[in-house]
Amino acid sequence: MSEYRELVKNFEKVRSYMREFYVYGFKSRTEFDSKSARSYDDERRRIESWLGDHMGFVRTRDGKNAFISIDSRVSTHNPLYKGLKTKSFTDKDITLHFILFDLLSSPEIKMTLDEILDGLDAYLSAFPSPMLFDESTVRKKLREYISEGIICTEKYGKSNIYFRSVNTQLPKSSEGIHFFSEVMPCGAVGSFLLDKYPDTSDKVSFKHHYITSALDSDVLALLFEAMHRKCSVTAVNYSRHADLPNKIHIVPLRVFISVQTGRQHLLAFDLNHGRIKSWRIDYLAEVEIGDECPSFDNYRALLEKSRQYMWGVNCSKTDKYLETVEFTVFVDDGEEYIVNRLEREKRLGKLERVDDNHYRFSATVFDTGELLPWIRSFVCRITSIKFSNRTLENRFREDLQSMYELYGIGGEGE
Amino acid sequence: MIFSELYSAYYNAVAEIITLVINGERDEKRLREAVCDKAFSESVLEVLPSLKSGKWQIITQSLETPIKNKPTLPLTLLQRRWLKAVMLDPRVKLFGIEIEGLEEVEPLFESEDYLVYDKYLDGDDFEDEGYIIRFRNILKGLRESTPLRITYLNRQGDEVVFCVLPERLEYSEKDDKFRLIARGSRSLTTFNLNRVLRVTAVKGTPPIREKISPPETRSVTLRIRDERNALERCMLHFAHFEKHAERLDNGDYTVRVNYSVDDETEMVIRILRFGPFVEVVEPQSFRELIIDRLKKQMSIKI
Repeated sequence: MSEYRELVKNFEKVRSYMREFYVYGFKSRTEFDSKSARSYDDERRRIESWLGDHMGFVRTRDGKNAFISIDSRVSTHNPLYKGLKTKSFTDKDITLHFILFDLLSSPEIKMTLDEILDGLDAYLSAFPSPMLFDESTVRKKLREYISEGIICTEKYGKSNIYFRSVNTQLPKSSEGIHFFSEVMPCGAVGSFLLDKYPDTSDKVSFKHHYITSALDSDVLALLFEAMHRKCSVTAVNYSRHADLPNKIHIVPLRVFISVQTGRQHLLAFDLNHGRIKSWRIDYLAEVEIGDECPSFDNYRALLEKSRQYMWGVNCSKTDKYLETVEFTVFVDDGEEYIVNRLEREKRLGKLERVDDNHYRFSATVFDTGELLPWIRSFVCRITSIKFSNRTLENRFREDLQSMYELYGIGGEGE
Repeated sequence: MIFSELYSAYYNAVAEIITLVINGERDEKRLREAVCDKAFSESVLEVLPSLKSGKWQIITQSLETPIKNKPTLPLTLLQRRWLKAVMLDPRVKLFGIEIEGLEEVEPLFESEDYLVYDKYLDGDDFEDEGYIIRFRNILKGLRESTPLRITYLNRQGDEVVFCVLPERLEYSEKDDKFRLIARGSRSLTTFNLNRVLRVTAVKGTPPIREKISPPETRSVTLRIRDERNALERCMLHFAHFEKHAERLDNGDYTVRVNYSVDDETEMVIRILRFGPFVEVVEPQSFRELIIDRLKKQMSIKI
């Protein structure tokens, strides 16, 4: 049985625990699908150590439930980034890392592998039982650091010489990096940069700020890389709505980010089904970049063309099956803010003034169901509504009736 | 790509410890503090013992180090690529960020790789020169804790002048707007940056209240019926609030969400989006806000 460690080799498992604790937070220990209760205990202990006061516990009849509660308006730095700073390493990894960069302390210092090995021995002689580094271990680490862009190499006669990369100077003030670390995709990288500052500012805070995507940073970075190289990827889709994980083979086209629902979708061409579909990025794992896709530009152009009919992330194979919706709202005198709301919140479609107190919104989209939540937000002033999809219209009306009943409206005496 | 020990809190903690030791600081308490500051609450159990025992051969048992230079690391390719992507964002001008040495670097992503598809359409104009100047003046005031004179266009279209001490800038991704939260002579005031006309530093000490309580926080308890994926949609939707959820015996769920009283109307609208699957349970006053809207809707008879 392995000993508990605070760091982890693979983020995938802890990613799902952090998500469960943060988004839901009502599952008891016995409900987690882990192989053992000990596994749950270890993950919970790790996350508690990383997140400190953001972790809470409550006793229920089912046992002790762990949850993560973060008011992202108060917490100016996304605490979930801490989870991405927990990669484990070997004793040799860390020892070699710090000695290597001390040996190569400036870009002007250039050393061969033999010189580095000699240098290592000299440093390690300060210890009673010095570690032994063979040539292949050091060469492998150098290769790894070359691919990370922090070590450079060039030929010198028959040998390779190694030196550290020239550093890129960060801005003096950290506010900008802080801002983008919270609002840009893969913001975790910005958080890594902030770690280089002696002090970081809290001069910018965030409202309506979804932070869960931090947990998907690695997946997102790989998807961007695939797009950059115009490649297909394979991935496993762990949808909550499917019984089993599903392996997919897709061409990633664009990431659709919602700042109103906290969800991020990948729009990609499904090579198995021959159409553009959307996948929740938080459900994707085990992403592997495959071959270059010659049709990448065509698929992307198709997605761009489809956007005119996409309220959200649902995309159809063709524009033959379009749906329409129109609804009219009452706007009283002095309620111009409602018109402003309609103007700024409509993502597509048309807003028309019907008369002094009525405005009509209409749109043609692939899936009018995606507009339902938005339309409901105008409840109290909707004077007419019409969907081409009659099932949806009935659903809207039934839902409204259910809401009346839920709140006890419309019974006797009303 | 991103999950790498190069960015790990332990590497940062060890770099800090080496720096302290090089500077002659060998007090163990101070070194433990450095670990707590750079890593996690249980890291002290691992980092210093690993160093002192010679498991990690960087610091000797007597807290000396063969390392000669304060540890530094060049930016990784990933970090440079992310910075390059940031430099393509129009908001970068607000912060006056200029970074040399990224000319040959490919951005990690570009605008055609992602789309924020549901932000409001009346966001601030981040490329307007005047806006950029005012933003930077406010940022300078924040950095230097300087009182500012703000000329503001109020809702009635009148110019109003305020003398305030800037507390922080707040950005809403949904609204795509910045707001300035500032302390005035009586209260905390919020200024939409797109309505700020002029910003100048104030000489002398204007009357600014020392301590002002933050806006009142309230909570609302919702009952969620998990149909049409309502549970997941609702929990994610309200994920950015301080909240706590429980499962009920009948299979429904409750979630208590804390929100600022200033955002009550917005909360009502957000809850209505979920239709009959999310019900306000308490307080009754909040429930009445929903009932009021439903009654109005019912009277329209669509």
